[in-house]
Amino acid sequence: MFELIGISPVLLFGQLLIGLINGVFYSMMSLGVAIIFGMLRIGNFVHGAQYMLGAFGAWYLLHLPDIFPGLGLPSLGYWWALVLVPFGVGLIGALMERLFIRKVYDLEHAYGLLLTVGLAMMIEGIFNVGYGAAGQQYSVPESLRGGINLGFMFMPLYRVWVIVFALLVCFATWYVIERTKLGSYLRAATENPDMVRAFGINVPRMLMLTYAFGVGLAGLAGVMAAPIYQVSPQMGQSIIITIFAVVVIGGMGSIFGAIVTGLMLGLIEGLTKVFYPEGSTTVIFIIMAIVLVFRPAGLFGKETSAHHPSDIAAARPGSFLENGRLWLIVMAVGGSILPFLVYPVFAMKMLCLALFASAYNLVFGYVGLLAFGHAAFYGSSAYVAAHTASIWGFPTEVAILSGVAAATALGALFGWLAIRRQGLYFAMITLALAQIVYFYAIQAPWTHGEDGIQSVPRGYLFGVIDLNEPLNMYFFVLAIFLCGFALIYRIVRSPFGQVLKSIRENEPRSISLGYSTDRFKLIAFTLSAGLAGLAGGTKAIVFQIASLADLYFMTSADALLMTLIGGVGTLLGPIVGAIVVVTMQKELATLGSWVIVVQGSAFVLCVLFLRKGIVGTLEDFLSRREERKRIAADGGKASAPALDSEAAS
Amino acid sequence: MNTAQSEDNIIVANALTKRFHGFAAVSDVDLSVRRHSIHALIGPNGAGKTTMFNLITKFLSPTEGRILFNGRDITTEPPARVARRGIVRSFQISAIYPRMSVADNVRMALQRPIGSSFHFWKSVKSLSVLDDRIDELLDAVGLLASRDQAAAGLPYGRKRALEFATTLALEPELMLLDEPTSGLGHEDVDRIADLIKQVSADRTILMVEHNLSVVAKLADAITVLARGKVLAEGSYSEISENPEVVEAYIGGSDD
Ligand SMILES: Nc1ncnc2c1ncn2[C@@H]1O[C@H](COP(=O)(O)OP(=O)(O)OP(=O)(O)O)[C@@H](O)[C@H]1O
Ligand SMILES: [Mg+2]
Repeated sequence: MFELIGISPVLLFGQLLIGLINGVFYSMMSLGVAIIFGMLRIGNFVHGAQYMLGAFGAWYLLHLPDIFPGLGLPSLGYWWALVLVPFGVGLIGALMERLFIRKVYDLEHAYGLLLTVGLAMMIEGIFNVGYGAAGQQYSVPESLRGGINLGFMFMPLYRVWVIVFALLVCFATWYVIERTKLGSYLRAATENPDMVRAFGINVPRMLMLTYAFGVGLAGLAGVMAAPIYQVSPQMGQSIIITIFAVVVIGGMGSIFGAIVTGLMLGLIEGLTKVFYPEGSTTVIFIIMAIVLVFRPAGLFGKETSAHHPSDIAAARPGSFLENGRLWLIVMAVGGSILPFLVYPVFAMKMLCLALFASAYNLVFGYVGLLAFGHAAFYGSSAYVAAHTASIWGFPTEVAILSGVAAATALGALFGWLAIRRQGLYFAMITLALAQIVYFYAIQAPWTHGEDGIQSVPRGYLFGVIDLNEPLNMYFFVLAIFLCGFALIYRIVRSPFGQVLKSIRENEPRSISLGYSTDRFKLIAFTLSAGLAGLAGGTKAIVFQIASLADLYFMTSADALLMTLIGGVGTLLGPIVGAIVVVTMQKELATLGSWVIVVQGSAFVLCVLFLRKGIVGTLEDFLSRREERKRIAADGGKASAPALDSEAAS
Repeated sequence: MNTAQSEDNIIVANALTKRFHGFAAVSDVDLSVRRHSIHALIGPNGAGKTTMFNLITKFLSPTEGRILFNGRDITTEPPARVARRGIVRSFQISAIYPRMSVADNVRMALQRPIGSSFHFWKSVKSLSVLDDRIDELLDAVGLLASRDQAAAGLPYGRKRALEFATTLALEPELMLLDEPTSGLGHEDVDRIADLIKQVSADRTILMVEHNLSVVAKLADAITVLARGKVLAEGSYSEISENPEVVEAYIGGSDD
C-alpha cells in the first residue's frame, strides 16, 4: 500500500464512503434498468427522469402547505415520502407504460430507446422550466441526524441508513425475481408469453406492473437521494448514462450483476477521486471499454444469442426519391438559391446538420446499428478543426480535414469496441464512449472547459477566397455538403453498400455466404464517423466556435431525431429531418426552455405515429398509388399471385 | 482412425457436444461425411439436427469436441471463415434477402469471390459482370422469369429455390441443406431433389430431411439422431429395418 503514504485516512475513507453511497444508488438504479430491460426489452432511458421525480416528490410532500396554501395540508416528511413517493412514481410509470411504452414492445429496440429518450426530455424539460438549473435543498430527517464517530472518521447516520436500506431493497428484489415462484412467472412471461397466458395469467398487466416496479425503485432511490444530493431537474440526466454503462459492465441479463457492479463501480469511482481526481468522471466509462474488450457479454452476462440488426429502413428501391444523381442536381440548384431567401448562417446550420444526420443515417439506416454517440465524432472534429485553425494556424480546409481525421480515428476505435454488440447494447456502449470524450473536453486545458474554443478564424480558402464574406463561406459549405452527400450516395450504391444492405436484411445469411459482417459494420461505422466529423469541423469554422454542446449527448439525440423525422434509411430523410428540426428550433427559440419539451414530444410523436418519417410515409403513399394504378391497368385483375403458390401447402 | 480413411472424409466431427444452459442438444456425436457423397441427417423434431449444422458451420461453438474439415481443425474458427473455406449452408427457415431483387440475392453470393466487396467507392454497376452467371443459376431453379422481382414477393417454394440457387452460387465444396424440401408441393420437391442430385456430382452434400422418400432416393449414407445422440448409421435399407429407428420415428414425431 505504498500509494497510501501522503493520503490522509480521513480523505481516503471519506471518499470511499461517498463512493459507497454513489454505489448503492447505482445498484438500485441499474437494478431497475436491468429488470425493465430483461423483462420488457426496453432500454429505459427515462429512468433518470423518474429518479428525479422521486426526489421532487419528496420535496413536494415536505412543502405541501406552501404549494397549496389555504387547504390546510400537512407537511409530510421523509418517512412519509419513503412510503408514498415510490408508489406515486410507480403509478406514473404504470401510466407511461399504458400510454406509450406498451406500444413499442413488438417493435425494434431502437423505438423503445427513442421513446424513452423523448419522455425523459419532456419530463426533465418541464421541471427545467419550473426550477431552472438551481437545486432545491432537502434536509436530512430529524431521526437520522448526527452520526457515529469511528475514530478514524465521522460516519453520518443518514448515510449508514441509506447504505443498509438500499442494499436490503436490492437483495430483496433479487430474491423475489430469482428465487420465488412469482419471479419465475415473470421470467417465463418474457421468454414465452403465450405459455404464461395459457396458465391464465394476464401478461399485459404483469408487464405493466413490472415496469411500474422498476420505475418505483427509481422513485425510491430519488427519495433517498434527496437529502444527499441537490434536488434538481438535471439530477437524473447525469446519472442515467452512468447507469447504462454500469448495466453494460455487469451484463444486461444479470440482476445480481447489476447490484454488485453498481456497488463496485461506486467504490472505484471514490478511490479514483482520491488518487487521480481528473479521472473520476470517466473511470466508469473507461472500465466499460476495458470490460468490453475482454468480456464482451459483461462481467456477469451470459453468452449472448445472435440478434439481427434492426431493419427499419423506409426506402423503396427504385423510387425517384432514392435517385441520388437527380437530387444532387436539385440540391445544388436549390442550395444556390437558398442564401438569397434565408440568412446564410441559418442555411449553413441546416447544411451542417443535414450532413451530420446523413452521416448518422449511414450506420443507423443502412446498417441497422443503433448508434447513440455520434456527438463524439461531430464534436471532436469541431474541437480539432477549431484548435488547428486558431492555435496552429492551419489553413481552413486543412483544419477541417484534421477534424475529419480525428473523428475517423475515434470512430475506428469506438467502432472496434462496440461493434461486437448489437441493438440496445450498441446504443448504450456508443453513448458511454461518447461520454468519455465529453468529460475529457470539460477537463482538458486546450478545450477551454465551459467556454469552448471561441473566435475561430474563418480564414481564406486555398489562401485566396475570403471566407469572412458570408456568401463565400456559404458556397464553400454547400460544396462540402454536396460532396458529403455524393459520397454517402456512392457508398450506399457500391458493392460494399450491397453487403451492408444484406447484413441489415439477414445477417446470418451474409455470414453463411462468407462475409465477416463485423468488419463491414466497422468500416461503415468509421466512414460514418468521418463524415460526421466533416459536418462538425465545418460547423466549427462557420460559427467560429467549438463548444461542449457539440459533444453533449443531446447532439447525438438530435442526429437520431432528424433521421427519424425525415425517414430512417432513406436518402433524403436526414436532410428533410434537418430542415424540420433546424426550422423548429428557430421558430421555437422564443419559447426558451420549452424547446426541449417540444423536442421531446417530437420524439414521442414520431415513434408513435410517424415511424417511417416524412420521406418514408411519402414513399408509402406513392407506392400505394402506383399499386392502384397497376391494378386498374390490369383491367381489374387482382395482382396475379405467382403460378405455383398453391405448392406451399 | 487411420489417415487413408480421414482423407476420404471431408468432414469429421469428434465427440461433439453442445449444451444450452445445461441441456444437451447434441451430446457426444461422432459424424464423418464421405467426400462426394450425399449424406442425410434425419431424426424426430428436436433431435439436434439443426444444432449439428450450426456447430459444423460454426454458428455455434461446441461445448466439447472437435471438427475437422479436409483434415484441418476448424473448431475455433469464425463462421464467415468457415464459409470461405467452402462449407456453405442453407437455413431451415428460408434465408433470403426479402427486399432485394431475386437477381441481387444471388449476386450477394457471387460478389464476394470477385473481391470487390469492400470497395465503397465503386458503383454497383461494376457488379453487372455477374449477370450472366446469375441468369444461369436462376434458370437452373426455374426463377429466371422473376429475376427483377423483390424476393419477398415470391411464394414459399420459390423462396426455397432462390435460397438454393444462392447457396449453389458459391460452388461450395460442402453444401449443408437444412430441410430443403420442407413446405414444398410435390412438383417443387421433385425439382429440388433432382437439382440436389445434379449438383452433387462434384461436391459433398449433407442434408437434414424429413421427407423419407427424398432421403431414400438421394442419400448414400444416413445418420439418425434422436435426443442429441446418434441412434443409427448406415444405408437407407439398413436404417429402415432398424427397430430403434422405427420406434423413435413413430414415438417422437407426428408426421
Ligand atoms: N439457441 C438455443 N438455445 C436453447 N436451446 C436450443 C437452442 N437451439 C436449439 N435448442 C434446443 O436444442 C434441441 C435441438 O434443437 P434442433 O433445432 O437442433 O432440433 P432439430 O433436430 O433441428 O429439430 P427440427 O426437426 O424441429 O428442426 C431442441 O430441444 C431445442 O429446443
Ligand atoms: Mg431443425
